[in-house]
Amino acid sequence: MAGDAAQGSKIRPRDRKVAQWTRDYVRLPGIPDEFIGADGAPRGVWSRFLEAFATLSPADVERRFGSADRHLREAGVTYRAPGESTDRAWSLSHVPLLIDDVEWQQISAGIAQRATLLERVLHDLYGEGRLVAEGAVPAAAIAGSAEYLRAVCGVPPPGGRYLYLYAADIGRGPDGRWWVLGDRTQAPSGAGYALENRLVLSRAFTDLYKSMNVERVAPFFEAFRDALRASADRDEPRIGLLTPGTFSETYFEHATLARYLGFLLVEGDDLAVQGDRVHIRTVAGLKRLDVLLRRVDSNSLDPLELDASSQLGVPGLIDVLRKNGVVIANMPGSGVIEARALLGFLPNLSRRLLGEDLKMPHIATWWCGQNAAREEVLARLDDFAIEGAYGGSVPGFPGNGPVLAADLSAADRDRLRTAIGNRGIDYVGQELVRLSTTPVWDNGKLAPRPFVLRVFAAATANGWTIMPGGFCRIAERLDSRAVSMGQGASAADVWVVSDKAVSTASLLPAVDTVRIRRIAGWVPSRAADNLFWLGRYLERAESTLRLVRALSVPQRDPGKGPLHQSIDRIQRLLITWGATSLGARSQPAKIAIDALQGEEDFGSALSLVRAAQRTATSLRERLSPDAWQVITQMSDRLAQKVDDEDGVVSAAELTLQELASFAGLAQENMNRAAGWRFLKMGRRVERAINTTRFARQFAQDDASGEDLDILLTLGDCQITYRSRYLLAPLLAPVRDLVVLDPYNPRSVAFQVQALNDHIGSLPALKEDGLIERPQRLAVALQAMLTTAEASALDAKSLFALEQDLLTLADAIGSHYFPHGASAMRPEKLTGLA
Amino acid sequence: MIYDIRHVTTYSYSSQVSFARCSLRLKPLSDAGQRLISHSVDIKPRPASRASRVDFFGTDTECILIEVPHRLLRIDSRSRVDVSRKAPARDGGSPGWESVREAAFDSSSLSAGAPIGYVFASPLAPIQEAVTRYAVQSFPPGRGILAGAVDLMHRVRTEFKYDAKATVISTPLQEVFEKRHGVCQDFAHVMIAGLRGLGLPAAYVSGYLRTYPPPGQPRLQGADATHAWVSVWCGNETGWIGFDPTNDILVEQDHIVLAVGRDFSDVSPVDGVIVGSRKQKLAVAVDVLPVE
Repeated sequence: MAGDAAQGSKIRPRDRKVAQWTRDYVRLPGIPDEFIGADGAPRGVWSRFLEAFATLSPADVERRFGSADRHLREAGVTYRAPGESTDRAWSLSHVPLLIDDVEWQQISAGIAQRATLLERVLHDLYGEGRLVAEGAVPAAAIAGSAEYLRAVCGVPPPGGRYLYLYAADIGRGPDGRWWVLGDRTQAPSGAGYALENRLVLSRAFTDLYKSMNVERVAPFFEAFRDALRASADRDEPRIGLLTPGTFSETYFEHATLARYLGFLLVEGDDLAVQGDRVHIRTVAGLKRLDVLLRRVDSNSLDPLELDASSQLGVPGLIDVLRKNGVVIANMPGSGVIEARALLGFLPNLSRRLLGEDLKMPHIATWWCGQNAAREEVLARLDDFAIEGAYGGSVPGFPGNGPVLAADLSAADRDRLRTAIGNRGIDYVGQELVRLSTTPVWDNGKLAPRPFVLRVFAAATANGWTIMPGGFCRIAERLDSRAVSMGQGASAADVWVVSDKAVSTASLLPAVDTVRIRRIAGWVPSRAADNLFWLGRYLERAESTLRLVRALSVPQRDPGKGPLHQSIDRIQRLLITWGATSLGARSQPAKIAIDALQGEEDFGSALSLVRAAQRTATSLRERLSPDAWQVITQMSDRLAQKVDDEDGVVSAAELTLQELASFAGLAQENMNRAAGWRFLKMGRRVERAINTTRFARQFAQDDASGEDLDILLTLGDCQITYRSRYLLAPLLAPVRDLVVLDPYNPRSVAFQVQALNDHIGSLPALKEDGLIERPQRLAVALQAMLTTAEASALDAKSLFALEQDLLTLADAIGSHYFPHGASAMRPEKLTGLA
Repeated sequence: MIYDIRHVTTYSYSSQVSFARCSLRLKPLSDAGQRLISHSVDIKPRPASRASRVDFFGTDTECILIEVPHRLLRIDSRSRVDVSRKAPARDGGSPGWESVREAAFDSSSLSAGAPIGYVFASPLAPIQEAVTRYAVQSFPPGRGILAGAVDLMHRVRTEFKYDAKATVISTPLQEVFEKRHGVCQDFAHVMIAGLRGLGLPAAYVSGYLRTYPPPGQPRLQGADATHAWVSVWCGNETGWIGFDPTNDILVEQDHIVLAVGRDFSDVSPVDGVIVGSRKQKLAVAVDVLPVE
């Protein structure tokens, strides 16, 4: 007995830590908390989590947090706040939000019911219109929304439904219940970020994650993908994710989702309407697109019928929809149901359409378009948060978020009253609620922060499937009112935790229903264009770095004679290429630093790598995370200031190694379907051009031994030369090796031969059997290089070769990507006066 | 009154246009005040496809597709219309404007003719506090809707300067309002924005206006223009009444309606996208000939 007592009083260090965290955790008064329940004791899931968490040493915890942050940075997880021009790094809370599976069942049921209801309401609003005609929904609550799309009234949604992906923002209210704060039906964002958060946190805390029996999110995405696939009217549909482009605040998410779901990431310019269908412009011509998952707002989808100033859409898209030619998810116009003006009518609509009460309440809302509600709001103005009835800012009060009358000046209060009096239809009053808090990790302690949870639902053949988890945004300040990613909030992973081991069964289709395929379809022209230019930028950066290195190798002391002349030639090349704005008489060291990392010089290695990075941004869904990481590293390294020749040489060499490793990644890891060819073709054509330019400078008829030596270095063929000729560099052999030798992988001839092979493997656009222009030019060039003799390669013929190569590069561009980034956009006819 | 109307729109381009997709809203409405007798549209170059449909607002919209390279696009529309519209007296009685607003808010229809579609801001007629404050001076408490709208129309006519060179279609409402100048569509947008600021339903009407040559002079061919005015909902009994703020008159026999929408962007007679031109020049010639 005595022994037992002693054992009982001995507190394990693990328990002591948990007790300490619990003691230090100061809840906000009057607000429920996720960690500490209403009874003042930690909730079950949190106890389990903290006990497991406590077994990690403080150093281990810091290391894992660090690795999570590093992964986010390196994967380039970013978002952009509205109005900003650069991406922000993602801030992930290291503590997940925990919800036990019993409570989650209730949340799921509430969300699925709400999604079902909203789908039914949309069908009626754009279809029969009985709800409005019979007074169940005021016409004004619909007509006021910019998302009420008159162009699709009476158009049956292709695929049979309006909503494919639905999201609701929820929070735990003061009564301890979960409340819906808002609906997202237009193009809900956040699912891709939720996926990325899960990936990062489950990697950093693998054991903890496994021990907690967390529900997996992957089956949700599989179900969503299958549902979109099933919505199309042919067996193997082509599905695109329509993004506004790299300037969108959530572009990273679009790329992540497209890659994860296996959809084509497309912009409006990539699509064209022909006949009654939408097509994607590919390197093999127009290919039919069946389903469009859109992240572009409805009004921007078609400049012909909707917002005429939009550059994001496809002219004629709405007409295709009318002719049942494409499934758009969610159906344009679905956003109308996000309007806060509608919230107050949903309980009745639920009873009317579903025959049941809403399972989850939403925040109490008074729409001022109705007399009684308006009087109520005006009478107790200070008790409400005033919001725009149809989303966006409060009319007359620009800025984000609700207007609190109590915070307004006397003049503004009057203005608000008059506005509500004149146009009550534009305003709602919402109950001021404060939401529950959840723990974040703050300097070794747990601290409470308010949060909002976005829950996602996908429409499948078996009803609505809810993602177990979601996208949780945590406010940095203790004010629990408005939480938006742009306002300095961080995100948290959401773990739905079960007592029992979770099922690992996946929803992958049975093996015999999948047709094996090796080619994922033709590359869109824009992607091909970007890949081509990515290759060209990287190759140009490589050539520039080789010049910089040649200029900076320290044993050379500038003086008179041939050596001076060679250095002068390198400098002139760098100046011609825009790598420096300094004059030819400047110090070589200064020119080298400029050419390496000049911010203003468009031809510096740094600028070229940045251009490659920008291009790669548009290709995020096609590049492996490793490849992206290499580009980011290069651009970071080149931006670090160097001040002497040693620094220049080592930066140039490290970057050259990274360029080689990028090339290796592409060679070994990129699928050989057509996209890879364009990357290679970009590199080949650029290398051929640059090598010809090197030869023009350093292999002229009067070239010195020093010139030829530099040329061998620039062409990376010193070793080959020395193994073949036990002689100092001589003009004709060097020319032959650098320009004509088809066995030297850096010679011009080798590049042209490779280009010829690539072009030959690409689809012909015409069916007349004639050789197409890029091939014609490449074959002619190859024939010329095969038959040329080194002694005849004078300055004039090298110049002609350079021109021919430039013509070939242009021909590739205008043949395969006539609709690429540099192509003519459709423009609007000017309006009538 | 029967009119023969010819409306020729010509786009000339500085370089070849390879493709054009256009929407034409050139077919005059048939409704209570007018009847369309005949209508035809001739297009050069010949479109690869032509398809008509009736849009949400009841306008007959023709979608055309041109796939041959061209430097000139000519759309020649001819219509014969019988107009028999009566306007109420300018100083006639009407329900108080506040009650009209309440009736509009309580609307239980989203159809094109229902007032609720025309009380909210639209792309070219945003609701702005300054414009609302301007309009409210015509609407003291209890005033009849007709009297208020006539007063507002009169003030726009007298306080704004007609200047065909001052504005283009993309000139924002705020600039038109601050500088107090513009053309018919600007005046229509200003009046609409003011009325909507007060919660009153106001629609944009595009059409033609019969013009009278100066006494003793012949009519000049092609000298007429497309015109625009405002339609105001005056309560359940009276319905929609046309107000022409450019001429300070109520709409009657001299106005021929093409299309009705929330603002110009809903009714633009010729709209489209083209691929290929750097510069475009637009010429519009309209003739409105009374037949009897």
